[in-house]
Amino acid sequence: MTREPLPFDHRPDPALGAALRQALEPAEGSHTAFVARLLARVADPRGTGSWDRVLARWARVGVAAAVVFSVAAGYLVGRATAAPARPSVAEALIAPRTPVVEVVLASVLGN
Amino acid sequence: MKPESQPPQPAARIPGQDEAALVARVRAGDRTAFGVLAERYAGVARRVARAVLGDPDDADDAAQDALLSALVKLDQYDPRRPFGPWLLRIVANAATDRRRRRKVRRVEPLDPALVAGGARPDATTEQRALSERLRTALAELSHRRRMAVVLFDVEGYSHAEIAGILGIPEGTVRSEVFHARRRLRVLLADWKELE
Repeated sequence: MTREPLPFDHRPDPALGAALRQALEPAEGSHTAFVARLLARVADPRGTGSWDRVLARWARVGVAAAVVFSVAAGYLVGRATAAPARPSVAEALIAPRTPVVEVVLASVLGN
Repeated sequence: MKPESQPPQPAARIPGQDEAALVARVRAGDRTAFGVLAERYAGVARRVARAVLGDPDDADDAAQDALLSALVKLDQYDPRRPFGPWLLRIVANAATDRRRRRKVRRVEPLDPALVAGGARPDATTEQRALSERLRTALAELSHRRRMAVVLFDVEGYSHAEIAGILGIPEGTVRSEVFHARRRLRVLLADWKELE
C-alpha cells in the first residue's frame, strides 16, 4: 500500500486488504453464534421459517391475487358483454316507436 | 492497455469446487448442506454488509436476511456459475435496502486522539484504533465505492465479478476501486504502518 496506485491497477493491495479485513471482521467468537442463529431461523416455523414454508406463504399470496384478478376480470367482461337492459315502463310509453300492424288495422277498421 | 480480468489468487477467496454439489443438495432439502454453505459464506457476507451499513448488528441482520433470501431463491441460481458472486449480489442488495430503510444514524465521532494519530500504548490498542480509523474512512466513501474496494482488496473478487455483483460496468468498478484506494490513502496518510 505504499506505492501510488495506477489508475486501473488490477492487483489487490494485500496491506490495505488485510487492514480493511481486520476493520470489518465481526467480533471474535461471533461466527458460530451467527450461523447457529441463521440455521435456527431456517428451522423455526414461526419466524422466517423453512424455505418450503416461505414458498408456501408466497404461493398463498399468489393464489389470492389470482382469485381477486379473476373475479375482477369476470365482472368487467360480464359487464361489457351483457345484453342491453329491458326498458322500463316509463321509457316504453315515452319512447317514439313505429305502430305495430294490429294497431294500424284496428284504427282503420274502427274508423 | 488490456487489463487482467482475474486477480492473482487472493487469500480471502473461497474455493468453490464442490459448490454445485452442495447447492444441489440444498435444493433437495438437505439442511446440513445449507449449514455448510452458510458456514462458508457467513464471514464474507457479514463483512460486505458491514462495509455498507457500518453498524455490526445491522450488518448481521442484513447478512442473515440475505442468506435466507438466497435459500428461497436458490432455484434461480445457475450452478454453472460461481456461487459467491451470486450470493454477494443478494447480500449487497439486502444491505443497501436496509441502509435506505433505516433512520439516519449519526456515526459516533472519532476520538480526537485517533484523528490526530495520538498515543498508541500497545499493539492491540493500536490495531483497534487503526480499525476504527479505517471504518470511519470507509464511511466517508459512497457505499458503491466502499463495496468495490472491499470486494476487490478484502474478498479477492475480480473486477468482472464485482461488476456482476454491483450491477455496474466493469470500467466503473475499476474507477471506484482506484478512487476508494486513493481516498483511503489520503485519510490514513499519517498512520505509520500505512505510510
